[in-house]
Amino acid sequence: MADISVPEPFPISQIANRFLIFDVDAVTYARREHNITGVLVGTIAHMSQQNVFLGIPLELMPEEARLLVEQGHAYIADDVDVHNKGFLEMNREDRLAFLQAMDKQGMDAALNNQKKAEERSEKALQRKGLARKVQENAARRASEALESSSAATPTDAEADTSLFDSPPRSASPAISQAPNGLDPFFVTPTTSYPRLPTPPISPTTPLPHVPRTYPLFAYLHSKGYFMTPGLRFGCNYTVYPGDPLRFHSHFLATGLDWDEEFDLLDIVGGGRLGTGVKKAYMIGGADTSTNDVSDKGSGRRTEDGVRAFSIEWAGL
Amino acid sequence: MADEDEDMPQLSGGGAGDIDLSDETQDFRFLSTLSITGTDLPKIPKRGEKDFEPHATARQTDTLAASRAAMHTALSIPRIHAPKNHMVAIYEPSSNMASVEKAKSQHFQTIGRFANGKEWLLPEETLFMLERGSLDVRWPVKEGEEGLGVPMSLQGAYAAFIGMEGGVGGRLTLEMYNVYAGLKRAGYIVLRTGTWHDAKVELNLSKVGHAKEKAQERYWGLGLFGELWKRLFRLQRSDSLERFKLGPLVTPGLYRNWTDIYKLLEVIPRHDRTAPPKFMLPDDISNPFRITFDVYKPVSQFRKSKPGPPDYRIAVINARETAVPTMVELNDLLATTPYDLPNPSTQMYQKLKYGSRNIILAVVDNGIPSYIRIADAPFEDEKLYERIGRGRGGKRGGFRGRGRGRGRGR
Repeated sequence: MADISVPEPFPISQIANRFLIFDVDAVTYARREHNITGVLVGTIAHMSQQNVFLGIPLELMPEEARLLVEQGHAYIADDVDVHNKGFLEMNREDRLAFLQAMDKQGMDAALNNQKKAEERSEKALQRKGLARKVQENAARRASEALESSSAATPTDAEADTSLFDSPPRSASPAISQAPNGLDPFFVTPTTSYPRLPTPPISPTTPLPHVPRTYPLFAYLHSKGYFMTPGLRFGCNYTVYPGDPLRFHSHFLATGLDWDEEFDLLDIVGGGRLGTGVKKAYMIGGADTSTNDVSDKGSGRRTEDGVRAFSIEWAGL
Repeated sequence: MADEDEDMPQLSGGGAGDIDLSDETQDFRFLSTLSITGTDLPKIPKRGEKDFEPHATARQTDTLAASRAAMHTALSIPRIHAPKNHMVAIYEPSSNMASVEKAKSQHFQTIGRFANGKEWLLPEETLFMLERGSLDVRWPVKEGEEGLGVPMSLQGAYAAFIGMEGGVGGRLTLEMYNVYAGLKRAGYIVLRTGTWHDAKVELNLSKVGHAKEKAQERYWGLGLFGELWKRLFRLQRSDSLERFKLGPLVTPGLYRNWTDIYKLLEVIPRHDRTAPPKFMLPDDISNPFRITFDVYKPVSQFRKSKPGPPDYRIAVINARETAVPTMVELNDLLATTPYDLPNPSTQMYQKLKYGSRNIILAVVDNGIPSYIRIADAPFEDEKLYERIGRGRGGKRGGFRGRGRGRGRGR
């Protein structure tokens, strides 16, 4: 998996003021290289009746999008605009070319499917001890292949008789002469980008608007933590020491302003809940009182001046 | 010890000990063990074993890499339609909907609306069908050109059905879609409540379930005898105001049971839940507290043309933009739900929790929904003094060892 990467900066789709990633490689890459997990919100096509494992798209918190943009790893692309221009105003030639490309993909899918079906049936037959029948089948198919395509060489046919080495398919079968009269499948692509030009980086796109908890988020992220939305634990972020795939979270973090007064009961409630689920409650914020005026816009990082406190039931 | 993340309220009201696996990121390596055929229920694995913290061992690194690889593989699965069950929908930019000419799928028993020889799908219906790999949506071709349009990608579908929704005056947000898709994946039937476009919402004056039965019972059941009792009772209470001013709450006299005395002690006036509800705020389309979806349990005799009263009503709230509802907002929200009483034969706590009107808030924090049920609890209908003689409060509500029972984990 270490080899999957995308060129930086990669696009983050902005749709109705939400930040989404549709490219699987970018999802894996951001997770591995930048400790950004986001939340998978889509349905996995063949597993559409469960809510435990979800799929593309990945929804980023505005904080995550902002951090990636600020650090130059990603940029915001207005997906609505791109699709409006790219698809609703597509000209005829582009459309036909696209359709033909999709047809080719669909044919590949159909061939792939057929191959798998054959393998499955052969395996099933073998399990039932009908090895002879398997060989007969294979031989029959081989002879059929010989008859149907004069181009097929005898060596190809011989290869076919061996059980699991299916004959090498011609690399790109033309659609009109589909082998075995296969109909092409239809494919719904995940992203639009191979067809659309990659959206340009627009310097005028404003940074994602983030809540006042952003300094705490940036601070924890700079220390190598992973963050996910924390509402179900009554906090702003659940904080993980590593990838949430592998680790339990350690902190329930709530971001506050430096001079903000808050209810003591919040500490009791947060500490109580956190301790109850084997986590520590954390509050934190950025100290804006010192060197704020002089340093503004002079490379001062957001996470500077942040302090965080963790609260646990002492259990004496 | 309490498990990491118990007590998520579940719509189905499953056992209290159930762990909601979707609470936390699960190990995608388990996905491959799930049954792929739709026939038998997929077996969800036990929660994956996780580590406490990284300790830079090769073993840990390898496990993480394997999990990430499994995740990448699961997310890369393409959406492919075999010609046999290929279904095409054409996107309609002016309404941000899609039309299907040949609806050949079970799904259309619960989605879509038939008009002009086609099934029309709402944005959330189209997007979900595309996302689950059941529908091939095509961009429209320009006028005067023939043939099919190009296929809409998943990305394009989100851009269109969520992103272009505002341009045509639609109201679907990503949060609403998250909730819609989550409920659909869980098997529920989900319909929009009303049209979504009306600033004015209707008061709900209907009675459903046990409330309906009760209303009929009261009408037929009491008879002459009951009427007599009622009159006697009213006589006693008629002069209550005078009584509060002047004298002892319990006037001297002959009392044959405690109930009569308790009744005399009911001093605090109470809200009459059987009276029709009233709105307290002016109509406002931007009010986030309105019912978004009607949710039905999946039943075979469901008809989308005549769905009947829903099993659950859900209002979708964006956690990052909306504060906790005020009393007034809650009143107005509950006023749009029917009068719905709990089953009278259940336990008192159950009845109080069920309430006389109820609504489920789906609070979405960046793609993660939490479902919160809010009910108007009719405490005055559950009189503690009427339970005398049934044992002391039942064993269930007793003390469970204060404070120390749960221990400290770690």
